[in-house]
Amino acid sequence: MNISRIFEEAAWSLAAHKLRTFLMMIGTLVSVLALTVILSAEKGTQIEVTKRIESFGTRLVKINTGGGKGYTKPLPNVTTLSMEDAEAIRSSLAGWDIVTSVAQRNNMPTKAGNKQSTASVYAVDADWHEAMDWPAVEGEGISGDDVATLAHACVLGAGLAKNLFGNENPVGSDIDIGNVRFRVKGVLIRHDVSPGGEDENIRVVVPLTTGLRRLYNQDHLSYIRVRMKNASQVPAMAKEIRLLLHERHNIVPPQEDDFSIVTAGEVAEAARGISLTLTRLLTALAVLALLVSGVVMMNILLLGVFQRKCEIGLRRATGATRRDVFAQFLCESLTVTLLGVAVGSFLGWTMSTLLLNFTKLKIAISWEPFALAAACSLIIGVIFGVLPAHRAARLNPVEALR
Amino acid sequence: MIQLEGIEKTYVAGSVETRVLKDISVCIEAGEFVAIMGASGTGKSTLMNILGCLDMPTAGHYRLDGTDMVNLDDDALSHLRSQKIGFVFQMFYLLDRATALRNVMLPLIYADEYPDDAKARAGEALAAVSLADRMTYKPSQLSGGQQQRVAIARALIRNPSLLLADEPTGNLDRRSGLEILAIFQQLHRQGRTILLVTHDEAVARHAQRVIVLSNGMVAEDHSVAQPSDAQAELAAMPKEVSQ
Repeated sequence: MNISRIFEEAAWSLAAHKLRTFLMMIGTLVSVLALTVILSAEKGTQIEVTKRIESFGTRLVKINTGGGKGYTKPLPNVTTLSMEDAEAIRSSLAGWDIVTSVAQRNNMPTKAGNKQSTASVYAVDADWHEAMDWPAVEGEGISGDDVATLAHACVLGAGLAKNLFGNENPVGSDIDIGNVRFRVKGVLIRHDVSPGGEDENIRVVVPLTTGLRRLYNQDHLSYIRVRMKNASQVPAMAKEIRLLLHERHNIVPPQEDDFSIVTAGEVAEAARGISLTLTRLLTALAVLALLVSGVVMMNILLLGVFQRKCEIGLRRATGATRRDVFAQFLCESLTVTLLGVAVGSFLGWTMSTLLLNFTKLKIAISWEPFALAAACSLIIGVIFGVLPAHRAARLNPVEALR
Repeated sequence: MIQLEGIEKTYVAGSVETRVLKDISVCIEAGEFVAIMGASGTGKSTLMNILGCLDMPTAGHYRLDGTDMVNLDDDALSHLRSQKIGFVFQMFYLLDRATALRNVMLPLIYADEYPDDAKARAGEALAAVSLADRMTYKPSQLSGGQQQRVAIARALIRNPSLLLADEPTGNLDRRSGLEILAIFQQLHRQGRTILLVTHDEAVARHAQRVIVLSNGMVAEDHSVAQPSDAQAELAAMPKEVSQ
């Protein structure tokens, strides 16, 4: 058997019957297109979720003031979350590593000499630096003494330091936050600007007590961060904290909570945007479409065997063996599948690139979805190509030529 | 060259046995031009299939060029067809999307070795049937007679020992039919062995020898004293009236 000649015959036959070839190919093409886009989107989402979880922290339970479900932000007008709540968590619940309280205000005016800037102000416990893994790079961070003595000390974010002091070292200088004077005792390590464009470096950190009494004139917190010793304890801790706060805030379900609890799970869900179940469903549908396209191709091939009876008979009469005929038909279905995979992959890649550049969808373009789609298609192409090829090969030349 | 000894062919359909060929023994020498005649249902198609190695006899021996055809498997039969037999069919059986050249080259695909000069050989084969100027035409662009000539070129491309023609003029008008027969007579003069199956006495007259089948047996086997000359008949035909 001269396989290159047989392949050439198959390719010629496909080229000579363009409509038939197109009809055989279109299903594979569309399925591969869908499959590669869906898998690329899923991969992109996966990467995004992992990134968000990592930046949030897998050991973290965050209690925000204000109710709500899923991934929430603190509501500044809800005043029920207190330092006593944080103390209660410390004293009555176990398994935590750090419990730290934060009262946050955004867009506060800050001033040093004649330079001004608006910044987010974070009033924090002394262990905040450790909890956030965000130490001072120059000078020192907020200490327990600062919190205990209501010290008018502050630590600047690298961005705010730049805004107010340029390239000078701000440690030891004074700044005004609102109209309260603070002494700069340190500068935080610069954090990368987040993918969303948020610059976390435009901030100033002050002792929790000073912030509450002297700056905000309030008692309530924005949120409490509870870091567990072990990530596996997070779900149980979230439940216990909820019960504890229900008790402390006199909340009886179904009454709504005046706080919300956020863990990596909520962050992941929020980052997904599209649920994993839906992605799985879409993937399953695309694979099903691939399967159906295989069946469609088989049907067209089977019809082809019937229509091309004379051709098969003639080929057999001129010396083609059964294997030659089988090989030609299988070559035809494989070539069609490969064509479908090639064109579908190209379109899938194009569409993924367009979606990546022109929409907010998280798409990660990598070789795996294409390899997977190609492998699935080829397996299906072979499976559904064998039967028609076998039929063609089994055709009795005497009957085919009758 | 061809030896048939006691060839029998029985078809079994359910419990019904049909004996199509009964004890056929014939000898055909190389270079003969033989017409096999018979009314339909007399087994001439079955005999043709056996001679063409498309079918196996139920009993008897068929030797082609000394090779005994008994107990050959499908692959071996395919190989023999490829090497030794050229077919010409009543329905031409050209690939309708392929050019004349491509149609003629078809048997070369299944040769043991694909010749480097396949195209040139196909071109020569087409030239030999006076179609040198029609090589890139598709069957739909050719007349019936021209299509059959493409089929003859295809049958000859591998230089087979035996040319088998099954009612080759059955679908053609008289003039085209005579042209085909003229080609056969010319091939015969060049020394080819030709077996022509027909029900038409006027066609059979052009052969050198006529074997008549009846009821699955050889009823007559005689040589033709003076075969009709297709070329002369063509010349004698009134010129086609141009419209």
